[in-house]
Amino acid sequence: MSSESRCALRSSILRKQIVAVTGLILTGFLAGHLAGNFLIFLGPEAFNGYSEKLHAIPELLWLVRLGLIAAFLIHVITTILLTLENRQARGERYAVNGSKSEESLKFAKKTMIYTGLLVLFFLVLHLSDFTLSDKEGPASMIAAGEGNPPRNLGLYGLVWNSFLEPWRAGVYIAVMLVLGLHLSHGIQSLCQTLGFYRNDLVPGIRKLSLVLGLLAAIGFSSVPLFINIVRTPPL
Amino acid sequence: MANTINLTLKVWRQKSSDSPGAFEIYQAHDIDTDLSFLEMLDVVNINLEKNGKEPIAFDHDCREGICGCCGAMINGQAHGPEHGTTLCQLHVRKFRDGDTLVIEPWRSRAFPVVRDLIVDRSAFDRIIQAGGYVTVRTGSAPEAHSLPVPKIDADEAFDSAACIGCGACVAACPNASAVLFVGAKISHLALLPQGRVERERRARAMVERMDLEGFGNCSNHYECEAACPKEISVRNIARLNREFFRAFVKG
Ligand code: FES
Repeated sequence: MSSESRCALRSSILRKQIVAVTGLILTGFLAGHLAGNFLIFLGPEAFNGYSEKLHAIPELLWLVRLGLIAAFLIHVITTILLTLENRQARGERYAVNGSKSEESLKFAKKTMIYTGLLVLFFLVLHLSDFTLSDKEGPASMIAAGEGNPPRNLGLYGLVWNSFLEPWRAGVYIAVMLVLGLHLSHGIQSLCQTLGFYRNDLVPGIRKLSLVLGLLAAIGFSSVPLFINIVRTPPL
Repeated sequence: MANTINLTLKVWRQKSSDSPGAFEIYQAHDIDTDLSFLEMLDVVNINLEKNGKEPIAFDHDCREGICGCCGAMINGQAHGPEHGTTLCQLHVRKFRDGDTLVIEPWRSRAFPVVRDLIVDRSAFDRIIQAGGYVTVRTGSAPEAHSLPVPKIDADEAFDSAACIGCGACVAACPNASAVLFVGAKISHLALLPQGRVERERRARAMVERMDLEGFGNCSNHYECEAACPKEISVRNIARLNREFFRAFVKG
């Protein structure tokens, strides 16, 4: 690495662009994850089959996982550093904080670091709930209808049983709303940071960002919501 | 008969950059609503002087919204509540009788307070010195037709060039970032053929200087655009981002 590009890595704009690119990668991952989640609605065969396919080539799975972990860490660490710098840049605080912006959704922008950190903490719960937990054990057993003996439904059963607990479903739905908020600003923000400035596209990108954030929140919430409403799996 | 109103002013007073500052409260009585904000301060200052007190120091020059000298936060809003207006072009009629106005200088680590409402904005000058120019061979002016510029580009460059460097963008930004200013300066040059020659070098040098001065990083709040008296668009920031990345890739 030349000294010049090392210096560029300390630059405000380049670091912002690193946040944008890693954000884009993570958004792509979320889209894939959401599509996978929807297979729950098709029943245990479809859902478990998809999960098995993902695990078919462990080397590839780990390659992708490592990539995601790297993107996640870079995203989190860089934003924390930038946020700390930004706090210092003001110097003496204003006695009165005002705004001239007429935008209605300022909340998402102001809370990016907090919504992001919340998702980070949630990830610990989420990984221990599903990714790292036993997918063939007693937690996967589901009694399908009256009188039938319980069956082991693998990951499908694990997800179903976990979300039957209302507190867990509640926590997941709450965090997914927060994630939606994060994305609603994040998606348009990364477009700006990566330099999209075409007049005819920018208003559309800003709206799309809101819509995608909302869709993500609804989409991810739909699974715990569905399980809590239906209670017994439609087998 | 002119309309008059009474205002309560809470003004930041600070003797010098290294002495601590504090708010002082002044009553502005019977202020003609047709006065500009700065003229209102003139009236207050005349009274202060009459009473043997130090007048409020504030920057101003043209008083017609074109030089970029004036500026202060009024109740947390850069240049006050009006959009697309400098403080000198803001009128007292925009306020109501009995209003309390908290008047503060621009706050940024890169803009140290010199006195009261005056801040040192030479960080902007140093950014311009770093690359906000084009190198041209002086001599007789070239034939205008020899360098065709598309009308769209000319208009866009002109919009960017409207920046008066007042610093309201930095003051309004939650992160005290200067990217709207730098974006405008980069844009008006990068859009024109004369500016393309030094394009990469300019983007690198200006951003490096901006970072060195201690401005914050943009997180796309767009408060700058809302506060800008010249209504410079945040598209200029996106263009700066692209120009900088281009310079980075080209090495
Ligand atoms: S005094 Fe020149 S812009 Fe206000």
